[in-house]
Amino acid sequence: MNLSIKNLSKTYANGLKALNNINIEIGSGMFGLLGPNGAGKSSLMRTIATLQEADSGTIMLGDMDVLNQKEEVRKVLGYLPQDFGFYPKVSAWDMLNHFAILKGINNPKERKEICEALLNQTNLFDARKRNIGDYSGGMRQRFGIAQALLGNPQLVIVDEPTAGLDPMERNRFHNLLSEIGENIIVILSTHIVEDVRNLCSNMAIMNQGTVLLYGKPNQAIEDMKGKIWMKLIDKEQLTEHKTGFRVISTKVVEGKIQIHVFGNTQPDPSFVPLVADLEDVYFATITN
Amino acid sequence: MFLQIFSFELKLWLKKPGTYIFFFVFFALSLLVTVVLGGLIGSSPETNVTINSAKAIAETLNGINTDLIGIIILITIIAPAIYKDFQYNMHPLLFTNPITKFGYMFGRFFASFLIALFVITGSAFGHIIGCAIPGIEAERLGGFQLMNYIQPFVVFVIPNTLLVGAIFFSLVTFSRNMISAYVGAIILLVLKGISPILLADIENQDISAMLDPFGDQAFSNATKYWSAEEQNLLSIPVSGTLLYNRLLWVAIAFGISALTFYRFQFSQFNNPVGFSLFRRKKQEIKSIASVPLLSLSDLPKVTQVFNFRFSLFQIWFLAKFEYFKVIKTIFFLIIALLCVLVLTLVSPVSAAIYGTPTLMVTYQVLQISGIIFMIFAPILIVFYSGIVVWREKDSKVDELVGAAPISSWTSFLSKLIGLILMQITLLLIIMFTGICIQLYNEFYNIEVMLYIKDLFGFKLIGLILLCVLSMSMQVIFNQKFVGYFISAILIVVLPILASSMGWTNGLYQFNSSGPRLVYSDMNGFGHQLFSFVIFKSYWISFSMILIIFSNLMWIRGKEKGFKIRLRIAKKSFSTKAKLAMTLSVFSFFLFGGFIFYNTNVLNKNISVKDQEKAQVEFEKKYKRFSKTPQPRIVAANWNVDIYPRRRGVKMNGYYFIKNKTLKPVDSLLVNLYSEINLISMDFPVDRGATLSLDDKENGFRIYTFTKALQPGDSIKVKMSLDYFPKGFKSSDAGTAIVYNGSFFNSSFLPGFGYPEGAELADDSNRKKYGLGKKERMANVNDSLARMNNYISSDSDWIDFECTLSTLKDQIAVAPGYLIKEWEKGNRKYFHYKMDCKILNFYSFLSARYEVKRDKWKNPSARGKDVAIEIYYNKGHEYNIDKMINAIKKSLDYYTKNFSPYQHRQVRILEFPRYATFAQSFPNTIPFSEGIGFIAKVDTTDSESIDYPFYVTAHEVAHQWWAHQVIGGNVQGATVMSESMSQYSALMVMEKEFGKQAMKKFLKYEMNNYLQGRAMEGKKERPLILVENQQYIHYNKGSIIMYALKDYIGEDSLNAALAKYIKKAGYQEPPYTNSLEFLSFIKAATPDSLKYIINDMFETITLYENKTTSCSYTKTKDGKYLVKISIDCKKMKADSLGKMKDVAIGDWIDIGVFGSKEQKGKKTETELYLQKRKIDKNKMEFEILLTEEPVKAGIDPYNKLIDRTPDNNVRSFTDKAPVKDAEGGGTVVIIGG
Repeated sequence: MNLSIKNLSKTYANGLKALNNINIEIGSGMFGLLGPNGAGKSSLMRTIATLQEADSGTIMLGDMDVLNQKEEVRKVLGYLPQDFGFYPKVSAWDMLNHFAILKGINNPKERKEICEALLNQTNLFDARKRNIGDYSGGMRQRFGIAQALLGNPQLVIVDEPTAGLDPMERNRFHNLLSEIGENIIVILSTHIVEDVRNLCSNMAIMNQGTVLLYGKPNQAIEDMKGKIWMKLIDKEQLTEHKTGFRVISTKVVEGKIQIHVFGNTQPDPSFVPLVADLEDVYFATITN
Repeated sequence: MFLQIFSFELKLWLKKPGTYIFFFVFFALSLLVTVVLGGLIGSSPETNVTINSAKAIAETLNGINTDLIGIIILITIIAPAIYKDFQYNMHPLLFTNPITKFGYMFGRFFASFLIALFVITGSAFGHIIGCAIPGIEAERLGGFQLMNYIQPFVVFVIPNTLLVGAIFFSLVTFSRNMISAYVGAIILLVLKGISPILLADIENQDISAMLDPFGDQAFSNATKYWSAEEQNLLSIPVSGTLLYNRLLWVAIAFGISALTFYRFQFSQFNNPVGFSLFRRKKQEIKSIASVPLLSLSDLPKVTQVFNFRFSLFQIWFLAKFEYFKVIKTIFFLIIALLCVLVLTLVSPVSAAIYGTPTLMVTYQVLQISGIIFMIFAPILIVFYSGIVVWREKDSKVDELVGAAPISSWTSFLSKLIGLILMQITLLLIIMFTGICIQLYNEFYNIEVMLYIKDLFGFKLIGLILLCVLSMSMQVIFNQKFVGYFISAILIVVLPILASSMGWTNGLYQFNSSGPRLVYSDMNGFGHQLFSFVIFKSYWISFSMILIIFSNLMWIRGKEKGFKIRLRIAKKSFSTKAKLAMTLSVFSFFLFGGFIFYNTNVLNKNISVKDQEKAQVEFEKKYKRFSKTPQPRIVAANWNVDIYPRRRGVKMNGYYFIKNKTLKPVDSLLVNLYSEINLISMDFPVDRGATLSLDDKENGFRIYTFTKALQPGDSIKVKMSLDYFPKGFKSSDAGTAIVYNGSFFNSSFLPGFGYPEGAELADDSNRKKYGLGKKERMANVNDSLARMNNYISSDSDWIDFECTLSTLKDQIAVAPGYLIKEWEKGNRKYFHYKMDCKILNFYSFLSARYEVKRDKWKNPSARGKDVAIEIYYNKGHEYNIDKMINAIKKSLDYYTKNFSPYQHRQVRILEFPRYATFAQSFPNTIPFSEGIGFIAKVDTTDSESIDYPFYVTAHEVAHQWWAHQVIGGNVQGATVMSESMSQYSALMVMEKEFGKQAMKKFLKYEMNNYLQGRAMEGKKERPLILVENQQYIHYNKGSIIMYALKDYIGEDSLNAALAKYIKKAGYQEPPYTNSLEFLSFIKAATPDSLKYIINDMFETITLYENKTTSCSYTKTKDGKYLVKISIDCKKMKADSLGKMKDVAIGDWIDIGVFGSKEQKGKKTETELYLQKRKIDKNKMEFEILLTEEPVKAGIDPYNKLIDRTPDNNVRSFTDKAPVKDAEGGGTVVIIGG
């Protein structure tokens, strides 16, 4: 099953163009949606998750029209929004059971099994009787994914799941995500390049409501080969360089500033060629 | 720091449009109230009180400030002043800055407090502008005075805002939960709601005045005796209970603020749940240690079901979830406890008459619980609707639930059901509490079915409709506080507005129940059930529309725009939803149409305004006939067939009418209720009459005799009438003829002449329609008016006979003696005939009666015995013996002191409590179920008032005072009926229960008189010129007559009364008047006391008596020398309550009381009581006694009218030796 988004546009009441003629095809497997904050990732995710309307365009999930057959889509959807919470004073077990009922799992035995399995899988089984309100950030996210995986989702959407997690928790979360079968569509939105590199076979980079780059991460890195140059400069030189070259990123290294510059050829001899990584692709794309 | 935060916050608010919207809301509400009170729109009763006095302004401003809407606005502004930082995750940013706790907390608090005050000033401006609108009646406006606005602000608005603000601010800051503010609001509003109910009992006034957090009750308590003049001119009296109330609640406000400040910590804010911090860490380590074992692809497979049946299960599951979320909170517990508390507190005082409660019969308990529904349920439902609808959003699970594959109607319906389950729980709590109250009161006849019918049949439907409305408003307006606001306007403000505007039609009043019929033990829910079901079906259909629309508008995602939501709604408007919507709209119109057909086609449904116009029209058209000479009824004979099931009656019969004038009468003016159908009116063949005018609309006809009726001539006029109500009306349930307990009187029958009573009475209204002023009653000396008595204008004394028929299982009764009783078909017939002349004033009753019979033995050998019969509803035996005793004692006293009883029988007949009065017809006394049949008289307490006894004695007295002596239709007429019946009843009571028992009764009478005169809308009259004013002829009458008896002696007063009856009894026109009555009393009054006749009867006299100090010393010979200093002021009031001090030269009681142990109980004994000449404002008295005194004072029995009766007597707390009197006072020593 493929998710195909065609000419999708959305402008908010305040004039902000959240989605600007988006065209993407997403097959099964993990798809990374990369972009800075406010790029329109969440708007896109929410639109796919049936929680927001589009002004124009279509989204097709297989032969389902997502914008018009919301009820059908929800039956195969697992969604973990960016900013979510849970009812206060409800235990993880009760909450998951609650969602299992919402997801239409009517057989109590099956419900029990799937809840147990998911809590085990997300390492929350021991903490199942505690109120989710008392969970740490990582546990909440794990619970979130457990909830998203209830039922038999064909499309799983996770919006910025690792924001604010410590490295250990992030790792664990990545492990979890990577286990989700290859046969379903998983869309992961993030502003962390590493997440995409680690997990996704396909990706898109978005900024200001537009898809700037769309393809496989390896291919994108390949395309960038020989086009990224590095130089260490002093603070005072930064403005000068910024006007003279296409600086895609700056980093402070040992008191000096390391700049990455995009250029088809070596800008000048003071620049050293660099093996491009996904981060360079990202920065090169969004600063374009 | 304080200033920075304060000004920052202030600027923030001033930039928000909400601030100005709220300001405008207050402005608009106040403007509206002012305009309605000012008589510009709607219809307000006639009054002498201005709308811009300090008192009126305080009431308006405080009323708006502390009603549901005002409270919601205050919650919105003040409650989240600190909480919002947490809500929007601002606190980490804020607290990293070096701010002080004081600056932060009070900066925020005072800024929002100031904004709240600013917003409330909107109401002051609304009031000012409202007063300036042209068209406000000039009499309703005093001069503009800024002080009148400032004072209410200082005394009420600022403290109340501070109080409410401090409470909400603290609750929310600590609990970090807005629900706590709502519960706080509910508690405050409930306290405000029940304090007037508690205040109704004059014994609890101070407590309930303190209890009201907003000072309303304390204020009305302090001003309740203010005459119109005082209400218009005086400023707010910040003293006594009002001052203490204000101090108490301001202190509470400060206390709460201080506590909040003391307990508040920044750190608490960062770690919301400090307690579980430790545990969480432990858990964290544990969960890191384990490693996933399975691959997610190996998860067990589940089957998902998406069918209707499972949707129903989901709804039920979610409803339960919602329900337990509500129930399992501390807040619900508080609300439930509050419910129990209110019921328990209110039950002993509500429905008490003269402080005597009723038995806790089930309907009484249910009626008390009705209070809860009135003040509790709407507030609760409004707040909880918001909580329930926004639960997902508030805890940020909205997107998770929104993306779940549940059908769109699941969410709304489950929440609605959850909310309804909460109402059911409260109803169960109420029922349980009610039963406990009954058991506690040792009342064991608990009607569980009645509880269920009333609570879960009648009340629950209304609650469900309220739930639907307020939830829909939340969904449609998609913003919690806007939803609150709109719901509050619809539920609280709109009904008040509608009633003040005179829009009474239930078609436009959400949740209307149709004509209301009070539950009665006699008639159950009666015929109301049908119209109730129809009205509720109408509103249920409307609610279905709301539900469907709300379902469509229910948002699952982040879309906010109304247009977009409408677009989404259109898309999801499925065939099924369309069908449901069509059905709902169809049934809405069907039921609406049926209601309209009943209320407006079958019946006339005219607004107050149209009614007024019709009255004006009538007066303009027919006033010219008011002096047309008319024949008078001299005999009436009726066949009355009552059809209780059809609630109708057929009346056939005749009058003999006689020309008593000195001129020929050529026409007959017939007036009749327009609803009664006059089928035929036949004149003797030889004296034909033609119908020359027939105004069906007004029930007015004119017949012209073909041959004029000569002086002294009489003819027989045969009539046939019927009355069968068609369908139902919009608000009047029609209680004259009901399934069980019909009671109607001769006003159902045709009368003759121009009916003056049909004219518009209110002078301000008359002015609007260009009519001249109308005196409430004709001048006491008006000899023309005295040609009629005040009960009937077309007859004097008549012969009466009638045959009644009714259902077989009922007994029908009319005045007269039962001649014959028979059955025919399925009906029962009763023939009554009166053996003496009576007034043209008779009643018809029919019900399934039990009868208790007794006999009064006439002590005089020549007199006749009197049969006593009590017709009562089975189960209402409680007080029948008291009534019989009262009849006997009354007959004893009245026959001995006034004149013989004209009948051979006294009958009391119970009628349903649709009205709560008893009324005396010849030998027949209909007596409401609500005033005495279920009274719970405490016979062990000598102070408790036996009002079944009192009412019976009063009504029996009317057989003399009204049915023997009847005043002409002029001022003062009711002195000889009502005041004298009060006096007679008092005398019988005093004989039965002793002098001590009179004290409490007279205290109530005094209170009712003083409050009544404060509310007088036209003119207060002296007793002798009373214009049918109840507070004068009943309440003042009691006090005056009791005092008069005390001054001139019972025997000489009664002798004078007997003489008067002899002179005026059964007289033909011109009828007696109060001046003639007074002349008999004057004659019996010694010269030295003649002044009291003027003080008591001819003028309005008030005293301000006070004992300023009292003390005693023990003399060497073991006696007690008591020294009393008193103040005495005597005032005369004019008709508007303007007072003038006058010189004193009065004889007033000075009394000293001791205490005696009697059967383990301390009772007061009279050690000294004598009338002393008081001729100075300050006087001192010395009295020598042999027993130890406890209390002393001036006018200790409150015989004189005094607005502060409590300071007349003082206890001897100061036992120090008395110093010599210091000048001025007069010292008199008397041997004790």
